[in-house]
Amino acid sequence: MFDKDSGLLQGTVELLVLKTLSWGPMHGYGIASWIETVTDDALSVEEGSLYPALYRMTRKGWIKAQWGVTENNRRAKYYHLTAGGRRQFREQTTGWQRLAAAVSQAVTSKTAPAWAK
Amino acid sequence: MTDRKPNRDYGFVKRKPQSEVDDELHFHLEQRIKANIEKGMSPDDARKAALERFGNVNGVRDECAQLLTEDRKAEARRDWLDDLRQDVRFAGRAAVRAPVFSLLAIVTLALGIGANAAVFGVVKSVLLDALPYARSGELMRLYCPWRGTPNQKGALSVGTMSDVRERQRAFTSLGAFMGARDAVYLSEGASTPQMVKSMWIEPQLLRTLGVLPIRGPGFRDEDALHDTTTVVMISYGAWQRLFAGEPSAVGKTIRLNGIPRTIVGVLPRSFVPPEEPSDFFQPMGLALQMGNPVTVRGSHNLGVIARRKPGTTEASARREMNAIGAELERLYAKDNTGIELTAVSLRDAMVGDTRGPLLVLLASAALVLLITCANLAGALLSRAISRRKEFAVRVALGAGRGRLARQLLTESVLLAALGGAAGLALAMGGLSLLRGLALNVIPSYANLSLDTGAIVVTFALALATGIAFGIGPAMSVGRADPQRTLRDETRGTSESVRSRRMRGVLVAGQIALCVSLLAAAGLLVRSLIAMTSAPIGFDPDHVLTFTVQPPNATYGSVEARNQLYDRAFERLNALPGVSAAAVVSGLPTQIQSSNGLFIQDAPWASDQPVPFILTMSASEQYFKALSVPLVQGRTFTPDDRPAMPPVIVINDAMAKKYWPKGNAVGARIHIGPPDPKAPWITVVGIVGNVRNDPTHLAPDPMMYLPFRQESWGNTLVIRASGDPAALTNSARAALASIDPMIPMFKVATMNEVLGDTFATRRLPVVLMTSFGALALLLASVGVYAMFANMAAAREREFGVRVALGSSPGAIAGLVLRQGGAWLALGLAIGTGGVVMAANMLRTQLFGVPQFDPVAIGTAVLVLLVCAGVALLVPVRRATRVDPISVMR
Repeated sequence: MFDKDSGLLQGTVELLVLKTLSWGPMHGYGIASWIETVTDDALSVEEGSLYPALYRMTRKGWIKAQWGVTENNRRAKYYHLTAGGRRQFREQTTGWQRLAAAVSQAVTSKTAPAWAK
Repeated sequence: MTDRKPNRDYGFVKRKPQSEVDDELHFHLEQRIKANIEKGMSPDDARKAALERFGNVNGVRDECAQLLTEDRKAEARRDWLDDLRQDVRFAGRAAVRAPVFSLLAIVTLALGIGANAAVFGVVKSVLLDALPYARSGELMRLYCPWRGTPNQKGALSVGTMSDVRERQRAFTSLGAFMGARDAVYLSEGASTPQMVKSMWIEPQLLRTLGVLPIRGPGFRDEDALHDTTTVVMISYGAWQRLFAGEPSAVGKTIRLNGIPRTIVGVLPRSFVPPEEPSDFFQPMGLALQMGNPVTVRGSHNLGVIARRKPGTTEASARREMNAIGAELERLYAKDNTGIELTAVSLRDAMVGDTRGPLLVLLASAALVLLITCANLAGALLSRAISRRKEFAVRVALGAGRGRLARQLLTESVLLAALGGAAGLALAMGGLSLLRGLALNVIPSYANLSLDTGAIVVTFALALATGIAFGIGPAMSVGRADPQRTLRDETRGTSESVRSRRMRGVLVAGQIALCVSLLAAAGLLVRSLIAMTSAPIGFDPDHVLTFTVQPPNATYGSVEARNQLYDRAFERLNALPGVSAAAVVSGLPTQIQSSNGLFIQDAPWASDQPVPFILTMSASEQYFKALSVPLVQGRTFTPDDRPAMPPVIVINDAMAKKYWPKGNAVGARIHIGPPDPKAPWITVVGIVGNVRNDPTHLAPDPMMYLPFRQESWGNTLVIRASGDPAALTNSARAALASIDPMIPMFKVATMNEVLGDTFATRRLPVVLMTSFGALALLLASVGVYAMFANMAAAREREFGVRVALGSSPGAIAGLVLRQGGAWLALGLAIGTGGVVMAANMLRTQLFGVPQFDPVAIGTAVLVLLVCAGVALLVPVRRATRVDPISVMR
């Protein structure tokens, strides 16, 4: 799903995780599944790199982990957003949208610079 | 409100990070494989696809495990800090909830820790801090012990010094000095003289000590070659006092004893001479004095400092000095028989007699602190027991026992820290007080302040104290079974057997320590009383003393001096109320000079050392001024003039010692360095004994020369009918009317002079007694607490007994028997402590046997009385138990 060559920054993985968990607590597999669904599997990075990202975000205090039980009575480690994580999500979303808008504007610009032939 | 954060894992035990990560990844892969199978793949393909999609499972697992471990560590640290903060907050709340107890605890801790901090500060500055010289560990002081006499720290003669310089190989350098003397100081252009102290030092002395002047070039070796030196160096203190620290002081000319001299150097602030402080330093050269055949080996007036060569030990240096001394005894039998030579470390020489008392004080302060700890431990124990239910509830609600114990420990450490801070403030105040009181007792280089090292030690001590008295109760809480406690219907003040025993042991320990301390204080007090109450031999009341310094230029000859004093006595006797005026070379308790005694027709055997007798020069009215009684013969008259036959008056002790047959009057003697050409001196009278050294209970032999014939000395004594201090101004005016250039200084009544002498002995005793009183108070509180708790614990039983007809006396007997056993144990252990204390004090006691029954008996009695008073209230309360209310 997350291809090594896609060139996406680590930060985007974190932003996606934050978005996923903003819906509610979920385990690692669920997070990966939702990202796959919502982006139509367009982003491909190794699934495994999700987990170190989850642990780093736990260290930063954005998310917290808790062992729980799935509907099928299986033990799984659930993650949920902290207040700090929610704040991070808001800030990063705004920042990302601004970045995306700016890049998009630049890329679709029709005005050539003075030095272009 | 529980005191733990909710356990995140809801009871699951925290497993190793590796396995936890494994589980998580395993779950992920399982789900992926399931999803793949649902999509229609075969189980093998599903697994392969899942693994491929995942990536490097092992790599991820290791990375996550590492991250998890670090995270857990950081969390543990945070939790620990949070716990600590919470503990401190709880401890603060617990302290505030019991304000009286907390205040008492802090006060007693402040006293105990403060006393230890102060004493440690003193011990450190006297015994541990470096002396103000370069590499002071290498420095030694040379002495001439006089074999078989109490004088074990005699000065060296010039001849001996010169011989030592020639023969020695143990030292890299030596330097000699003569003790500080009073001198008249006149600054340039000033007209009123001041008194200062000046000492003579060889230029090599400063080199040996490794001391350089902070200003000016200092002495050169050539400066010591002239007969009349014209250069001086000034101490830092005098430089500040007389020149306000102006750099221009160097090079200025001043007059010392009438002779102009140039200041060539200022000494460092921290520098103190090896004996007493001095304002000015004049260079001396021994070569000049080598010429005088009588004094070269007969006069002993040099203090000598030597620096050991690297590689030479103190013991080998001492041995070399001993050998040189023995050789000099052989070579110069006439002068040096009985005089040995030795070397001691400079620190030992400067510390002198203070080491013993200081260590005793340190031990006493430590004992007081131990008693404080025992007391507080007992008090905390009761508190812990009365808070049993509170703790049981907390444990039932999930608080760990270890955590609870840690919290109790935090409470005690908090109290100890507060007490320590207060104690530090007390110590600083106490030390500044002590600095003023103990000027003569403590060596001059010690500055008695609490530096960083001492403060650190104080806080370490406070921490240790808090743990010491807190650990017992903390551990006992950890052991209690919460269920039983919660079900228990008895009131919260009952004790288990174990805590009762612990409390009993604590009280026994307190009693033992207390009785040792009291016995030590008692011995010292008795010693001091013996010292101060032994008869001094004269009447110090109504006597004014002061010192004068007639300039040598005007009063260089004996006749001039005699004329001066005759006129002075005439004027002084004319003052109202004055009945006698005299001049003497030294006041009782301050006499230092002694001379060898040689009796006509009774020479000393060749192996007998020449006895040295304290010598004074006194004018006719001296004995009347101090009311020293005449025993036989006569005292001096104006006829004992320079041209007349030399006479001498001796004291009773000297007469009895050297003329046991009683024929002292009329005997003829020589004193001082033996000079065959000198005329024999006739003993004309015997006077009563006067005490000079308070530590010698038997009076020393003394002899008096007539001032008219031997006019050295310049202390005046005046007997008045009223208050002697009132005469000061009129005396000064009388002197000024004769010669305004003669300053009068060191004015004091004889009682004040005596008081100073005894003050040095009194101070340690006062401190010890205060410690003893404090220990007594603490121990009494401990006894009271023990009995109170014991009685309360058995309240119900007593109620039953009373109901069954027991008399109050029988109840009292029960309580006393139970508690008394511990008291008896304490006294029994205390005997050992008393023996140890008496042994430690052996060298400090004068006139009192080591196991003086009066002192020790009084100590035990005082303790028993206080303990008796302390247990009175609880025992009475026990006998008054109302059976009905108890059994309800």
